[in-house]
Amino acid sequence: MKPVVIIARRELHSFFNSAVAYIAVTLFLGLTAVWFFAIYGFAARDFASLRGYFGLMPFLFIVLLPAITMRSWAEENKSGTAELLLTMPFSELQLVLGKFLGALVLVLIMLAFTLAVPLTVLPLARFEIGEIVGQYVGTVLLACAGLSLGQFVSSLSRNQISAFLISSLLLLLISVLHVVNAVSALPRVLALTVNHLSLLTHYESFARGLIDSRGVVHYALLTVAFLYLSARVLVIKKWS
Amino acid sequence: MIELTEVHKSYGSLKAVAGVSFSIKAGEIVGLLGPNGAGKTTILKILTGFHYPDSGSARVDGLEISEAPLLIKRTLGYLPESAPLYDDFTVREYLHFVARARRIAPGDRQRRCAAAIEACGLSSVVQRPIATLSKGYRQRTGLAQAMLHDPDILILDEPTSGLDPNQILEIRRLIRSLGESKTVVLSTHIMQEVEALCDRVLILNKGRIAATGTAAQIAAELSGGARYAISVIAAPGSDESVFADVEHLAGVRDVRISRLERAVRISAELSLLPGVPAGAEAGTREGIDYDAGAALFDWAVAHGLRISELQPLRRSLEELFVELTR
Repeated sequence: MKPVVIIARRELHSFFNSAVAYIAVTLFLGLTAVWFFAIYGFAARDFASLRGYFGLMPFLFIVLLPAITMRSWAEENKSGTAELLLTMPFSELQLVLGKFLGALVLVLIMLAFTLAVPLTVLPLARFEIGEIVGQYVGTVLLACAGLSLGQFVSSLSRNQISAFLISSLLLLLISVLHVVNAVSALPRVLALTVNHLSLLTHYESFARGLIDSRGVVHYALLTVAFLYLSARVLVIKKWS
Repeated sequence: MIELTEVHKSYGSLKAVAGVSFSIKAGEIVGLLGPNGAGKTTILKILTGFHYPDSGSARVDGLEISEAPLLIKRTLGYLPESAPLYDDFTVREYLHFVARARRIAPGDRQRRCAAAIEACGLSSVVQRPIATLSKGYRQRTGLAQAMLHDPDILILDEPTSGLDPNQILEIRRLIRSLGESKTVVLSTHIMQEVEALCDRVLILNKGRIAATGTAAQIAAELSGGARYAISVIAAPGSDESVFADVEHLAGVRDVRISRLERAVRISAELSLLPGVPAGAEAGTREGIDYDAGAALFDWAVAHGLRISELQPLRRSLEELFVELTR
């Protein structure tokens, strides 16, 4: 566990030493708040739920999570510091988990700031606390899946920008995969599969406050799979 | 301590290392010398477990590196080529990160960092962000990083590149003192560096070992023997015929008498084939170690000659390097 924490601390150090973290956090909080209060018009609705607030998050995550993970390996590969990390007494999996944990802590800090929104509106009406908990659980799990995908793409790259663009594109595709069903009539089995693979299908249950085990399993599987693949990439690079 | 056997490594279609074997004993300072692209860096990357060989075996302390990478990485300190560092740290923060990463006990970190800062002459820049450091300070920070955890083996890829002459001398002194208790493998393309620092040299060319030995051995091997200039003071009345006998000395060939002064001082230049003391084969290790200078001295004593000058004429490593890597 300790080695993972050492790497995570280094990641956080470089997030907070560059403008990236501050810009990302500010932008994220600003956009979600503006959306919820000004565009979505929470105050004008007779509806005591944060569903609208959380509804925007997966879309912001499509650019936000890749922005956090784009540096993770691409920058190390480019500057040569990957050579330092990989020759220190860490296993590949520890390095990948450390970088993942660092990025996740940044997202958690960001989500902690969003607590200001529920805390502000809570006194105004009778909210379902369970619903809000479900929304946060879903958001954190979605972030895990997105961050691990982003790190995997970054591990294959030497260029932050291409890592950012490719992970954004991939995240967009797997987020809205279910849209395929809206525009074409797939065989039933295929249609259900596509629906299941789409990140947003599951996120909608979380946004309604349902902690659906299928969603939990799906997000967790994606996270584990991409973390494993990132570690594999590091090992394969040693052999090639 | 370190043993490479028939190691091959290619990057795509580029063959970087083609069948290299050597072994390094504990406590040796070994230099890898060669032109750019000769495979020096690749060999160091294999030793540190950053890359695994395509075929052949690379062992440290008897363990195959790719089978026990974590264990081996603990015993190594590594300065990669061009000293990559985390620019967003200050020197102190960076060394403390390395100390944690190297699992130095919390109580020891402060002391070890201070020692490395002192040894590498970094005291004046500890608070500066690494991004603002000059090439020389970056290089020294990299070296401090490599020696921080007091590893048994130091792998240094071009440790003095980018330094000015004073800094080069300082770093060489540091490497030499580290070499007293550690095994050091370093690469360089500077010949004097090898002569100044290394117990042994491996000259690499196109992914293969072109020559190995001490700088002097390589010189002797390649020039086909050792050359000496000798001046003797002979008894009055003798002439160059005193040299007739030297040709019977083990290994002597090509005696050229260049100077004859007043029939008392006789100078000659002669080359000695390596390795013809009784029973040894030419070109073998024993042969190379054969001390031709001592043999000449014995010869002079036996003939009642007084040596006023005896100078080995060594070809410079530069000349040999050019010849080997052409």
